[in-house]
Amino acid sequence: MDKPKVKIYSTPTCVWCRATKEFLDEHKIGYEDINVASDATAREYMSKRSGQMGVPVIEIGNEIIIGFDKARISELLGIRT
Amino acid sequence: MPYDVIIVGSGAAGLSAGIYAGRYLMKTLVIRGNFGGETATAGQIWNYPGAPGMDGYDLMKNFEKQAKDAGAEVIDGKVTGATKDGHCYNVTVGEKTYHAKTLIFAQGAERRHLGLPNEENLTSKGVHYCVTCDGPVYTGKTIAMVGGGDASIKGIIDLAKYAEKIYFIVRTPALTRPEPVNLEDFGKLGDKVETLFETEVEELVGESKLEKIVLSKEFKGSNELVVDGVFVEIGAKPDVVVPISLGVILDKLGYIGVNNLMETNVPGIFAAGDTVNHFGPFKQTITASALGAVAATSAYNYVKKLKS
Repeated sequence: MDKPKVKIYSTPTCVWCRATKEFLDEHKIGYEDINVASDATAREYMSKRSGQMGVPVIEIGNEIIIGFDKARISELLGIRT
Repeated sequence: MPYDVIIVGSGAAGLSAGIYAGRYLMKTLVIRGNFGGETATAGQIWNYPGAPGMDGYDLMKNFEKQAKDAGAEVIDGKVTGATKDGHCYNVTVGEKTYHAKTLIFAQGAERRHLGLPNEENLTSKGVHYCVTCDGPVYTGKTIAMVGGGDASIKGIIDLAKYAEKIYFIVRTPALTRPEPVNLEDFGKLGDKVETLFETEVEELVGESKLEKIVLSKEFKGSNELVVDGVFVEIGAKPDVVVPISLGVILDKLGYIGVNNLMETNVPGIFAAGDTVNHFGPFKQTITASALGAVAATSAYNYVKKLKS
């Protein structure tokens, strides 16, 4: 089965966004990084989809994860920690 | 075989303690919790010697690498309990238990909240505690900052890069201990920032997201202020639940009580960083690092005595 698509809604200065990306890099998981500071459409989408104005918001397939929830990300992507 | 030292926390104090303990050839475990502590979310750091303008997160990555290179083992997890076991301590992290001859509590402090009824419900839905994380989400928006100390001034300087308008809500009649260089930058922001002294937020209004705030006194003819977001920078309170369970005595302000060697009242237990109030309100990366180094040295001397 194909791995689900991963999107990270982030800001350039957010440390938990960086920690999330480093975690995915470490496990060689590809992702699309979307900067909601500069992309107003993405910001609106993130807010509506997650009900959140805090970052990171991570979209894995149809699932939304709020914050750097390592356990949930690992579960959805089959990462063994 | 037990660890010589378990360090709870991985901010500047915990990682500095890890570097020193590792170099003392102590068998060292650092339990990360929130990586990097306050420094990691502070944005650019201009007053840590030798690293001018370095991002706080990068600085803490360097600290962690140095601790690991010195021999410290670093694991993720939250300490949920600890007990005394003869000359050692048992520390619970999730389903695992670790044993150590000494403990250093350097788990820092948690951001203070406003304590308003709707606050938890609106957290990250208009109410925020991390400027570097969520500030850029408010590009072109109107926001409020609740504070008055230097951290809130630095926060406003960062927020001004993104927000269209910032209301600075300050409970006191003047700003508290602003760092002159930050005050100078703050002064350059002009009309973008309006400061409301002797004013408090009494209510956070909104269901699924923040819609407005209610102030303790009128501003421009109304107690209500419509804002897209509120950032709260009103200090932090130390995380002391586990130390208390071990019999550690707090000082009168609720920080872990320590002497100049970072020793608590319980033999073999030390503390450092923002969990102690050694330098009063002056809580910096450099002071936390220094306290971590002292705590590790005291732990080392304690373990040496146990062996002899």
